[in-house]
Amino acid sequence: MSMKEPVLLKRVGKMKNPASVEEYRQLGGFSAIQKAIEIGKDQILNEVDTANLRGRGGAAYPAGRKWRQLFAIEEGPKYIVCNADEGEPGTFKDKVLLAEDPLSVIEGMLVAGYLFDSPEGFIYIRGEYRAIQKVFQEAIDNACAAGLLGTDILGVKGFDYTIAVVSGAGAYVCGENSALLNSVEGKAGRPRVKPPHLAEVGLYSQPTLVNNVETFACIPVILNIGGQAFLEMGTEDGGGTKLVCLSGHIKNRGTYEVPLGTPLADLLYSEEYGGGTSSGRPVKFLHLGGQSGPLAFPEQLDGLYSYQGLADKGLAVGSGAIVVLDDSVSLVEYSKKVLEFFVHESCGKCTPCRIGTTRALELLDDFASDKAKAEDIDNLDTMLANINGLSACGLGQAAGVAVRTAIKHRKEEFSSAARG
Amino acid sequence: MSKLLSETEKTTIIDQNGSRQENILNILLALQEASAGGYVDQETIALVAKKLSTTETKVFEIASFYSMIETKPQAAYVLEVCNSAPCHFTKSDEVSGWLEAELGVKRGEPTSDGLFSFRFTPCVGACDVGPVIKVKDAVYGDLSRDKVKELIQNLKKSK
Ligand SMILES: Cc1cc2nc3c(=O)[nH]c(=O)nc-3n(C[C@H](O)[C@H](O)[C@H](O)COP(=O)(O)O)c2cc1C
Ligand code: SF4
Ligand code: FES
Repeated sequence: MSMKEPVLLKRVGKMKNPASVEEYRQLGGFSAIQKAIEIGKDQILNEVDTANLRGRGGAAYPAGRKWRQLFAIEEGPKYIVCNADEGEPGTFKDKVLLAEDPLSVIEGMLVAGYLFDSPEGFIYIRGEYRAIQKVFQEAIDNACAAGLLGTDILGVKGFDYTIAVVSGAGAYVCGENSALLNSVEGKAGRPRVKPPHLAEVGLYSQPTLVNNVETFACIPVILNIGGQAFLEMGTEDGGGTKLVCLSGHIKNRGTYEVPLGTPLADLLYSEEYGGGTSSGRPVKFLHLGGQSGPLAFPEQLDGLYSYQGLADKGLAVGSGAIVVLDDSVSLVEYSKKVLEFFVHESCGKCTPCRIGTTRALELLDDFASDKAKAEDIDNLDTMLANINGLSACGLGQAAGVAVRTAIKHRKEEFSSAARG
Repeated sequence: MSKLLSETEKTTIIDQNGSRQENILNILLALQEASAGGYVDQETIALVAKKLSTTETKVFEIASFYSMIETKPQAAYVLEVCNSAPCHFTKSDEVSGWLEAELGVKRGEPTSDGLFSFRFTPCVGACDVGPVIKVKDAVYGDLSRDKVKELIQNLKKSK
């Protein structure tokens, strides 16, 4: 957990009981909500804007813009929802905040509650994190007992706000924000048809804010150090630090807090971070941002780990996952694993996603078993492009991304797997 | 084996978990965790439907949509091997072979004493310690053949 002075992970490992309000306070906690009340709502929005905080859940949408859109809506009540579904394979960073500094997430949600006059916030924590749900609930209970949740919070008349923990139960698609809201409402977690936009018609058809765990945890940091200082920690196109998850064939696997704008090669090779491959073999490719992200090949790794730096190379930050694969891995085998995941997780609502991913996987099986023909490479690519274009939600729209980048950059590997 | 829950016990669990539609997943997971067979049976589904003023069909739809909720009896310990890419390429493909050898059953089949079965699961958010096995709420990482053996022994003892 590198970096000279972490801002997101600064309390992690330093508290005997991570759910303790007292310990959280001693380490600087709950000063941001105090400050938010002092500076007032317009100024909160200004700070989040200045910070250029991009959503940390994967889509990188500017939080300031999302917050202003919701703020401008007059109807209420508005609901605050924290996305703690963390389902992208290779991603395990929200877990660190949820388990080891839950009150920082609660404080971020509290600022949003104050700003939007929200009566209730919900945090949707994946079912695989049952043990962490208990820690988080304990943190909520402690915050209630300390008067930081409940009624007339911090003595502000009418500042009434609570947070409820909702459990997921094993469905990756529920990380998609409209599916998440259906799941919070106690329904099957299939995505909704959009528009309408969730800011307008969200939870219980009310205006709703959905942000990722890490996004919420950035809010107290922004208020404490100021939007400008937050921006300067990162790059112009995205301020702050990012939690990055290194896994796969890398020596130092784990979660790291890194300033946006750190050279990507440093993340892989410096001892402070990845420390090179675990096998000593060369890196063959990376998988960035989860299974829905692009693959990155060695010739693309000379840039910065920042939103624009990666976009310039056709890559993306996504969830912050960086899975490292060495040259023992075949791209056909890897592509099969990726598609197996999407076949398993498709909710089945749209045919292109449900059937298309299965067909694409069958075609990849042909490559793996010497049955594919040369023209099947283009067939596969077209099939994946169609799934992308015809699917209703982000799951189907991203199912082909990794495999298509593999075909684009390493077509020869598919050709040599194909017969005639 | 824990004994069958009475209707009163189930009702208590439902009430403790809020007894409203929003809490249905918390409720079903809690009932499953407390159940003897590690699943929610038809009777339990009917009770949940009644308590939440909804229909059995709706509760059943939810139970079948979410992969963590079981509607059939399970082994006492279901060993879930993560087989998403980050784990798969850090040797999780070998773990299922080890389990097959240790338990003497194929994936998806329970052992004859009903104690164990194993299956695959997508990423459980512990890729930094892959390969991993999840058993109920606990995740065991950095697995080797010996560690898998030890895990099985320890689970047997704790029964
Ligand atoms: C299939 C799918 C799965 C997703 N899973 C997650 C997730 O596990 N966690 C998350 O924060 N966002 C996830 N997202 C992104 C959310 O839809 C949404 O953009 C995000 O929660 C917004 O928060 P942010 O702006 O703070 O990132 C997923 C999106 C899709 C399409
Ligand atoms: S794209 Fe796939 S996951 Fe998304 S709604 Fe359609 S079938 Fe469901
Ligand atoms: S890929 Fe196995 S825990 Fe994430």
